[in-house]
Amino acid sequence: MQLCFFPGCNTPAIRPDVERAIRASMPVLGIELVDADNYVCCPAFGSFPSADEEAWMATSGWNLSIAEEKGCDFVVQCGSCYSSLCMGREHLLHDAEKLTRVNELLEPAGRQVTGKSRVRHVSEVLFKEIGPEKIAAHRKKSLKGLHGVVQYPCHTLFPSEVVGFEESPRAPQGLRRLVEALGAAVDGYSRELQCCGGAGGFMKSTPEQAVAFAKAKFDAILAETKADFIAVSCITCLMHMERVQNTLNEQIGEERYRIPVFDYNQLLALCLGFDPKQVSAICSVPRDSVISRMTDVNPNT
Amino acid sequence: MDLQEVSVKDLWQDVYSAGNLHYCFNCSTCISGCPASHGDPPLLVRNLARKLILGLEEELLDDDTPWACVSCSRCEEMCPMNVMPFEMILFIRQWQCRNDETRVPTAIVEIYKRGYTQAVGVNTELRESLGLPRLNTITNNPEQLELFRAMLMKTRIVSENDYMFGG
Repeated sequence: MQLCFFPGCNTPAIRPDVERAIRASMPVLGIELVDADNYVCCPAFGSFPSADEEAWMATSGWNLSIAEEKGCDFVVQCGSCYSSLCMGREHLLHDAEKLTRVNELLEPAGRQVTGKSRVRHVSEVLFKEIGPEKIAAHRKKSLKGLHGVVQYPCHTLFPSEVVGFEESPRAPQGLRRLVEALGAAVDGYSRELQCCGGAGGFMKSTPEQAVAFAKAKFDAILAETKADFIAVSCITCLMHMERVQNTLNEQIGEERYRIPVFDYNQLLALCLGFDPKQVSAICSVPRDSVISRMTDVNPNT
Repeated sequence: MDLQEVSVKDLWQDVYSAGNLHYCFNCSTCISGCPASHGDPPLLVRNLARKLILGLEEELLDDDTPWACVSCSRCEEMCPMNVMPFEMILFIRQWQCRNDETRVPTAIVEIYKRGYTQAVGVNTELRESLGLPRLNTITNNPEQLELFRAMLMKTRIVSENDYMFGG
């Protein structure tokens, strides 16, 4: 199966090891990635979608036209990119006037959009297209004996009519099953579905409150679970959940919050046997406690 | 304030025609679970809907709280009356930008200039050390970037604020 890889901006610019993990794992699991040459900002919700609907749709249309030209669907890791592209496509598919206008705008660039290419989140491709069984069968390393918690990206849950792929957006299963497929135990906890709070203007406008909001989540993880790591599936969750732990430790003057955070694709690539120095190189909460405890999978058992 | 006078202006239809705000009965589902409702001042989505329905133009123009939204879209999912509150927030921001150019987010200038809000594809050494290929970004493709800019220049927000995009 061929998918057009939409890298977004934070991943290739700030956390390219996550991009490396995706590019390493997908071919092993039977997905061929093609590059989205000349893609632009998704657009981020704080940019054109907050300023002008026409420019929002035009920018969405520019991106969607790239996947359509390649003749395949998009695969996206960043939650915001995924949701923005899904919403853009939804608007264009359900409003003929908007679609006509966007195609007028795209025409001088030799581009066209119809909506025929779908936008798919990488966790949906892994969960539904590849499946936990196939992932488990390809493992060279295991997370057996380790406990994890999962952070579902809000942008893959809500609004479920536009972005959803879970049977119930209020009781999502995908990320949990995917982490279990790597051998780890996944502990549930009371604030599992609480948003990380890292996107948009909340953290920028009132950082003190945003950190306190996230603290409640981390306190619940520490009190209710045996988590050795947190598995996320969105670049914002990844960066924010590391940053907040460091901020909290500075505030209290001790290292209480130090749960390693991984993008799921990084855990997957590590279990497929790829080099931690390439697929898990960048972090601000040390990950050695997890990587050093991974065990070899014996192919005969 | 004479509410009868302001409400006849039907401000909400100017700002937001996608959903029907008159279905909103102030239940506050949009607030429970909203991360930014923990902010100071809090984002109270229900109150924004009220300001729109009542036509409180000045109060709404001065309101910064729509910009604290994290875009998680919980409210969009949970609203029992399908008011589509997240889309409402985006349309309030757009309306504020139309009426107050200081609201226009500078992120759109970055996107116009280089295609992205971040400097994508310039970290070539780091990417090489991770075994990553060179990314075919629009920043590195002057011909495509020019076509992208020309497209944006035909949209209202860019053409009307073209002074922001010069150079």
